[in-house]
Amino acid sequence: MGRYIFQRICQGVVVLLAVSFICFLIFRFTGDPVLMLAGKYATQQEREQVRIAYGLDRPFYVQYANFLGNALKGNFGKSYISQVDALDTILERFPATFELALTAIFISLSAGVLLGVVVSIKPKSLVSRLIMAGSLGGISIPTFLMGILWVMLFAVYLEWLPPFGRGETVQIGPWRTGFLTLDGLKHIIMPALTLSGYQLAVILRLTRAGMREVLSEEYIKTAWSKGLSPFTVIVKHALRNVLIPVVTIAGLSFGELIAFSIVTESIFQWPGMGNLLLVSIFETDHPVIVTYIMMAAFIILAINILVDLLYAWLNPKIQYN
Amino acid sequence: MKHKLVTLIIAAMLAMPGLALAKSDLVIAVDSPPKSMNPHSYNSDANLSYMANFFDGLLQRPAPEGRLAPALAIEWTRKDALTWEFKLRKGVKFHNGNPFTAEDVKFTFERMKDPEFSKFLNIANSIASIETPDDFTVVFTTEKPVPWFAETMHQNFIVDKESSLKRDSGDYNTKPIGTGAYKFVEWVKGSYIRMEANPDYWEGAPVFKTVEIKPITEDSTRFAAIATRQAHILSGVPIPMIELIKKNPAIEVVSRPARRAIYMDIGNKPGTPFADVRVRKAIAMAINEDEIVSTVMRGQATPAAQVPDTATIGYDPELKRLPYDPEQSKALLKEAGYENGFEITIAGPNDRYVNDKQICEAVARYLARIGLKVTLDVKPKSIFFDELSSNKHDFYLIGWMDGSYDFGRSAQLLLHTVDPDKGMGVYNGAMYSDPKLDEMIAASSAILDREERKAALQAINKKSVEDIAWIPLHYQQDVYAVSKAANVIFTPRPDMWIVAKEIKR
Repeated sequence: MGRYIFQRICQGVVVLLAVSFICFLIFRFTGDPVLMLAGKYATQQEREQVRIAYGLDRPFYVQYANFLGNALKGNFGKSYISQVDALDTILERFPATFELALTAIFISLSAGVLLGVVVSIKPKSLVSRLIMAGSLGGISIPTFLMGILWVMLFAVYLEWLPPFGRGETVQIGPWRTGFLTLDGLKHIIMPALTLSGYQLAVILRLTRAGMREVLSEEYIKTAWSKGLSPFTVIVKHALRNVLIPVVTIAGLSFGELIAFSIVTESIFQWPGMGNLLLVSIFETDHPVIVTYIMMAAFIILAINILVDLLYAWLNPKIQYN
Repeated sequence: MKHKLVTLIIAAMLAMPGLALAKSDLVIAVDSPPKSMNPHSYNSDANLSYMANFFDGLLQRPAPEGRLAPALAIEWTRKDALTWEFKLRKGVKFHNGNPFTAEDVKFTFERMKDPEFSKFLNIANSIASIETPDDFTVVFTTEKPVPWFAETMHQNFIVDKESSLKRDSGDYNTKPIGTGAYKFVEWVKGSYIRMEANPDYWEGAPVFKTVEIKPITEDSTRFAAIATRQAHILSGVPIPMIELIKKNPAIEVVSRPARRAIYMDIGNKPGTPFADVRVRKAIAMAINEDEIVSTVMRGQATPAAQVPDTATIGYDPELKRLPYDPEQSKALLKEAGYENGFEITIAGPNDRYVNDKQICEAVARYLARIGLKVTLDVKPKSIFFDELSSNKHDFYLIGWMDGSYDFGRSAQLLLHTVDPDKGMGVYNGAMYSDPKLDEMIAASSAILDREERKAALQAINKKSVEDIAWIPLHYQQDVYAVSKAANVIFTPRPDMWIVAKEIKR
């Protein structure tokens, strides 16, 4: 087991190295940050002065080696734009993204499983057919369209929910939370619904498939014939056996929700990391972009390893050797 | 541990009604987030707009015309070609209580030379020395004549020497301390900036006690913000949604011609078809600008005959646009020996100016109609401007607005032959070159008399238009939406800055 964990961590380090290297390669084709750094009226000489001041005159491999050396010490450089530490800039936005992803995964898990069970019990009913059609929409309608439709409906026409932002927040130590105010909760509903759309549909379909398989098993028939209540049969006997793959998928997608909530965040002006990434790309702010991508890769890798380990712990039949 | 957490949560809950009441008197939604709270970190108008509330320059440009007016300096004179003297206002205090003196001015301009703190290298490096004969006089001596020196003084915000030296860069870049009409309260990145009135402001305390500026980058979301009354004023109304907003009886649309001109830059490299002025003229006359304004820009633009705007020294009211005449274009091409056309690439950014990509597409259609073989090459601004600086394109769309209100600097950067050693022609990506024009530009810098200088700049402007060194298309229109319920008097500025002290009730 220990050997397996060690192997996975080694693989992870290689992946992070590759990710950072690819970032640096791509930067060579995404525009020259000096143009932005030197300001609008700078002459060619002033641009060169800035290029040297930021070490951008040095060859590609030297810049990359410097970055790696500093990154090992936990220093990811300063944002070109704000001149503030790049990692701090991103971490400051982390609570907003984390709370959004958490709410979204909560919605997709609870609603997905519930609807999945409903659909599997009465697959031929009108309600089930409607839910299944809706889930197809959840998978195929792009997030940005979904988000704009929500805003038009609930904010502009019905005026039930605020159209953008995080609302009033409360600062507790380093964490700024929107969960503790009514205004904050109102603001999170639409973005979380938008972000959860795809995962909800996936979890619904997974639950349905699993339930239909399990419901035809012999032991369920036995349970029915024992005269147990429908709730006991469906929830305790059937659903329990379906949940393991569902929870695994939810866990894996949680990392993705944190790392790739970019579209949702920009539609709702959600002050999270995705929003920051978009602005940074627009402004060729390389230190922030590379730090963000490294962090996203790190989160996804860590969650993957964690899920693998949990799997082995939940199901002793699985062994990593 | 558990108890502590519960206490914290209860405390936070109790604080809720208080927070809900803390809504600002005035909420403004804008299209661009602040980059930094260091007033010299970024010289785009989008960032200066925030800074103008916390800081003052030596001079200012109040709405609506933006004429130069006293601010931290009460008078200024150009003593000779190189020397500028500013007399400073007495009794002004920074937000931290420190008195404002000539030392702060000297410190500010010296700090602006450091690339780590400043993107104002151009103006700062032009200064050779700064003298402070007394606490309220500053004398600048420039390296070369810089006729527009005072014209930029509304952009160079003065910082407090004592606290700036003491604070680390993280603090300095996030918590502004200036002399401005508003004191900084809170910046939650990506959400809002809150500020409160400075009761001791030298112009008198501003009308609105608390102001909140919210950046919203997504067009449809910004529209939703004003439609749902989440903001009192909205700057950067998305053009496709103007009709929708005008239909709303609760919202008033305010617009004014912007200073920024959009133009097609064209070169005259020997050996290319563009070297012949008849070809350049043919291209200019093939573009139906009125149609671009009415269809692509939905009426939100004014056709331009020249690049500087009316407020700029060097603007020439006599200049007229060439007429739209594709037949004449074809005749000119034939005369120049390009009866069968030639290959032309139209380059441009697709994320920088209002409908930039669509304008390029329209120009491509017009040029195809007079028989040119057109290739379209639009791309994100970060890549486009990089290619521009390596002179990759002969014909491209670009926009320009000079913060100095003086055509002299524009001419040096955009028209002068590319000459890195002299710092000329940085944005002359198509490498237009005319020794006569270069001479005129060089000569204009040394003229001290304002009227004489204006005439010299007008002559440069006129020559550039007549020789078709560029093809002006239009001035953009700045569009704002104001919620009628908010009961505010809002006058847009030529530079699009949101200066809260100028907003009245």
